[in-house]
Amino acid sequence: MFLLGTFYLFASFLVMTCISVIFSKNPVNSVLFLVLAFLNSTFLFILIGAEFVGIILAIVYIGAVAILFLFVVMMLDIQITSLMFNIKRYVPLAILFSSIILAEIIYLTVYKTAKSQKDIIVRSENNTEQIGNVLYTDYFIDFQLSGIVLLLAMIGAIVLTHVYRPTIKRQNINKQNMTFAKDRVELMKPKSGEGINSDD
Amino acid sequence: MTSLTYNHFFILSLVVFMIGCFGLFLNRRNMILILMCIEIILLAANINFVSASVFLNDINGQVFSIFILTIAAAEAAIGLAILVIYFRNKGEIDVTKINQLKD
Repeated sequence: MFLLGTFYLFASFLVMTCISVIFSKNPVNSVLFLVLAFLNSTFLFILIGAEFVGIILAIVYIGAVAILFLFVVMMLDIQITSLMFNIKRYVPLAILFSSIILAEIIYLTVYKTAKSQKDIIVRSENNTEQIGNVLYTDYFIDFQLSGIVLLLAMIGAIVLTHVYRPTIKRQNINKQNMTFAKDRVELMKPKSGEGINSDD
Repeated sequence: MTSLTYNHFFILSLVVFMIGCFGLFLNRRNMILILMCIEIILLAANINFVSASVFLNDINGQVFSIFILTIAAAEAAIGLAILVIYFRNKGEIDVTKINQLKD
């Protein structure tokens, strides 16, 4: 009963914050509601015993993705626009899609529930240990590939947003290594009162 | 039905997914909201994977949810980079004019 009540609390919060993401006029408010939605889903994951994924969700989404969104929203200086409320164009499409989804829900909840009616099984080893046992053995190649995907995304983002300015003087390491000390520095012995002629 | 079952989480993820799709249809003006709606849709997929993994007692779903998280982070970075250079070139982020990118 406690689980069910807590589930309904966080699930209703999650749905309300997701609706607020869509309908708020200011994009900054949207990002903050998105953070709240991710926090609520983190609580839901911890509630059913998936602590590792919940905490990773909090760290990755709230710590990285939402902050990235917030940076971009504040950097771009978007004017606060109202929604385009021409819903009437989409009403037939929306009715079609929602009726298909509703039929799927009714079919799955009425006819297919027998297999998934299980309670939560508490294992002896903890959640992080189970994930680690699978992630570094069975999914080792996929794990490395996801790292490569992140590297590519990082390089792609840098290449896309990088601006080449020809007026900036850059360091040319090859040119620096090709020179010798006697080309750059010359030892002079000026007599007193005469100074140095820079011509010779 | 007094205990927490997989159906609760399934319907919750479906509701969140439909909210995200509705946001994609509704917000035709602001491109950053479209990216946020894609994040909401990926969150719905994550909820479905993790709850199925817990209630069917199979850890592979949670591992897959971590991969979804990775791809979502990469997608957000690339999408926001494209958004930044689009804003730098055009001075606005109107989705209705983004078909001019092919010229």
